[in-house]
Parts: sequence; structure tokens; C-alpha cells
Amino acid sequence: MGHAPAIRLANLTHAYADGRTALAGVTFAAAAGERVALVGPNGAGKTTLFLRVCGVLAGKRGEVTVAGLDPADPAHRKRLPEAVGVVFQNPDDQLFSASVLDDVAFGPLNLGLSREDAAARASESLARVGLPGFGDRVPHNLSGGEKRRAAIAGVLAMRPTVLLLDEPSMYLDPRGRRDLIGLVNGLPGTVLVATHDLEFVLDTCSRAVILDAGRVVADGDPRTLFADAALMDRHGLEVPPRLAAIRTG
Amino acid sequence: MSLAPTHPSPPDSPLARWDSRWKLAAIAFLVAGTACVRSTPAAAAFFAVAVGLALLGRIPRRAILGRVGLVLFAVVPVLVVVPLTVDDGLVPALGVGFRALAIGTFALVLVRTAPLHRTLAAAHRLRVPGVLVQVTQLAHRYTFLLAAEARRTRTALRTRGFRPRTDAHTYRTTGQAVGGLLVRGGERADRVAAAMRCRGFDGTFHTLTAFRTTAADGLGFALAAAVAVGLVAADRYF
Repeated sequence: MGHAPAIRLANLTHAYADGRTALAGVTFAAAAGERVALVGPNGAGKTTLFLRVCGVLAGKRGEVTVAGLDPADPAHRKRLPEAVGVVFQNPDDQLFSASVLDDVAFGPLNLGLSREDAAARASESLARVGLPGFGDRVPHNLSGGEKRRAAIAGVLAMRPTVLLLDEPSMYLDPRGRRDLIGLVNGLPGTVLVATHDLEFVLDTCSRAVILDAGRVVADGDPRTLFADAALMDRHGLEVPPRLAAIRTG
Repeated sequence: MSLAPTHPSPPDSPLARWDSRWKLAAIAFLVAGTACVRSTPAAAAFFAVAVGLALLGRIPRRAILGRVGLVLFAVVPVLVVVPLTVDDGLVPALGVGFRALAIGTFALVLVRTAPLHRTLAAAHRLRVPGVLVQVTQLAHRYTFLLAAEARRTRTALRTRGFRPRTDAHTYRTTGQAVGGLLVRGGERADRVAAAMRCRGFDGTFHTLTAFRTTAADGLGFALAAAVAVGLVAADRYF
């Protein structure tokens, strides 16, 4: 018998209060340790899917299982923060404390760790994302790349087994983006990345799921999927320059 | 270039080294004393104490003058209207002005001589409810973001030729810009709440900030309390 998947979505459906359907029967699974990219045009349902997986949006039981927990079950939902980490699109939404160290330690303290253990975890996470010595800085004085790293540190400090990254390369300059690729490749556990940045996917993920209008329209190796110009065009995407150069070269 | 405002670190000084809990308690005493006095000389004395503390805290003079100017701007109506409408109103108006200046300068001393997270942690240790501490922390954090967004909106308006005038177009545009900021602020509040829940937030305020008290911290508090009590007593009995 094989291991249970880290993330399993079974006919996941979600409609907003205004009647708009964001997800219409999404089904896929990600194995433990797998790196999966979720790509698609604006409004495809990527962020809604993330919000369902981390339990921010309510839903029906049985549609989502993540790290063995069902976010629709109130008892499971309480245990989700220690199993699932989410890095939101805009790091300013995630860095709400008055100092970087307090922010990174926010999650561990909520998990009930002592101040000493939380501080040790926070310092370790800051060092891991390349921000040692940033603990006393105030979040609004950090650069875009530093904010992104601090937000990731805040999630890593909780040691989740599943990590959800929503548009991680947004707002980053080329150097920040390059550094982030190195960082994401070194992350432990299962990683799900929602992004428009297909070059970023080629550098970090072994599998891509294309979403369009709330449905899975393709699932497979990113190089194969992204090289299919007709598929990309049909779903509001473009062949990444790197693959286009190989085709024309 | 970023349009975000910068946040200066507190300069090293005896006040910066003062345990934030004792400092907060001392300043609370001084502010309460300022609010209690009735005579103008006593209010002026409290203002002098506040300025002395600001100088001891090595707060840049420009920041002190800026704060004094801001408070004066706020109390201008009192300073102008009371002397003109009340018999012998000049001295009471000055008393109000000195009290406002003293309290404003004490607040400046508090926020410019320690990082905010230390002051908030100190407030929590002094039994200020966690909800108040968290609301203050979030308000401070997102005020800077709102200010940066307001600056970007202003820049965007100017690059499209908008120049404020006293006409309907200006009022409408300003209203739309402010409305947009508020709507975006509301949406951001939802996202921040979601991010907090995802990291296990259950409403409890936690902080890593640790404090250590020395004899000098307690002595500083005793001195400030003695000054406050002495000035209030002088005001009442002499």
C-alpha cells in the first residue's frame, strides 16, 4: 500500500456569495515531498483553492485533505496551522508585527512554544532565508525581497509539512527572484506554488497543474505542458521564453 | 526608489536604556499629573519637564519642534477664542496650551526613545488589555502602509495632470482617492486576518520581548513620580 498523498482534492467546488463559481470540481493529489505548480490566467481559481486548502474559506467535508486533516472539520482546522504554511501574495498582509523577530515568532508562540524556543526557531528561520540579524528591523522598512523572505521565515518557523506559496515571485527584482528560486528549491516538505511566472515554475517544480475557469485542464511535466503553444494559448498563457527559444532555435 | 516613509531607530540615551515598563509607568504618572494641575505655572513646569526628558532622550530638536508645532496648531482655536470671549481668558488659555504641549511632548518621549514593540510589550506587562495592545500595533504597522499608498495615489494623480484646486472636480477626485484607500484598507484587513488565522492566532497577544529591571530603572520611576506628585501638590496648596 502506498503512502497517503500530502494534499488530496476530490471534486473541490467553491462558489462565492455573489453566485460566481471559483472552483468547479477540481480533483488532484500531490505526494509528500512533491513540488507542484498551479498555473492559470487571472480568475482561474488559484487563490481560492489555496484559501480552501488552508481553511480560511469554509467548504464541504471530504473535498480537501491536507496532511491528513480536513479543513472543513472544526477539530482538524485547529491543527492546520502546524501542518500547513501559507505565504500570501502580498507580504505586507503577512508581516503584521512591530518587529521582524516578533513576526517570525508569531506562529511558534501561537503553537504554545516557550519564548526561548520560539526565539530560537525564529532566529533559525531568519538565517535559513538569508536574513540573519534582521530581527530588530521594522517590517515596513524592508525591501520587497526582504519582506518576501521574512514572510517565508514566519511560515517556516512553524515547521509545516505542506507549504503553499501564492505568487511568490511577484514584486521581486531579478536578483530577488533568483535568490527566491534557490530558497524554494531548498524548502522541505510538499510545496504547492500558485503563479503566473512560468519560468519560475521551470526552475522550481517537477509538476504543473493548469487551472482555467475553476477546472483542471492539464496536469503533467511543466516542460511538456508549457511547450504546447496551442494549450497555452487556449488557456490565456504563453510559452515561456526559455522553451520558445528552444523551439525556434 | 520607494515612496514608503522611513522609521528612525531610537538614539542611544539614558531614556533608551530605561526599562520600558518603568518608563511607561513614569510617563503615565507625569501625564496624569499634567492633566490634574489647574494653574498655568504648574502646566508650564510640566512642559519644561517634558522638554527636559526629550533632550535627555537625545530626540532630534527638529522632531521636538515638529511635535510642539503640531500640538500648537491643534490648540490654536483655544488660544485665540478663549482670550477673546472670556474675561481674563489669556492665562487659562495658556494653561490649556501648556498642558497640551506637555502631554504631546511626553508622548513623543515615549515613542522616540524605544522601539514600538518594546513599548507595547511593556504596556501588556503592565496589564493593558491584549486587544488594545494588538489594535495599537496593527494600527501603527498599517498606518505606514496606508501613508505609502496615499503617497503613491497622490503621485499617480499628479502624473496625470491633477492639481488640487477649490472646484468640484478636486473634491470629487479627492473623495474617490480617499474612498479607494479605505476600500483597499478594508480588503487588506480581511487578508491580514486570514494570514493571522493561518498562523494559529487565537486572539492572545504574545511577544518575545524580555525585560530586566535594575535599581536605576526603579529610581528613575521614583524620581518622575516625585516630580509629578510635587508639582500637583504645589499647584493645589501654594
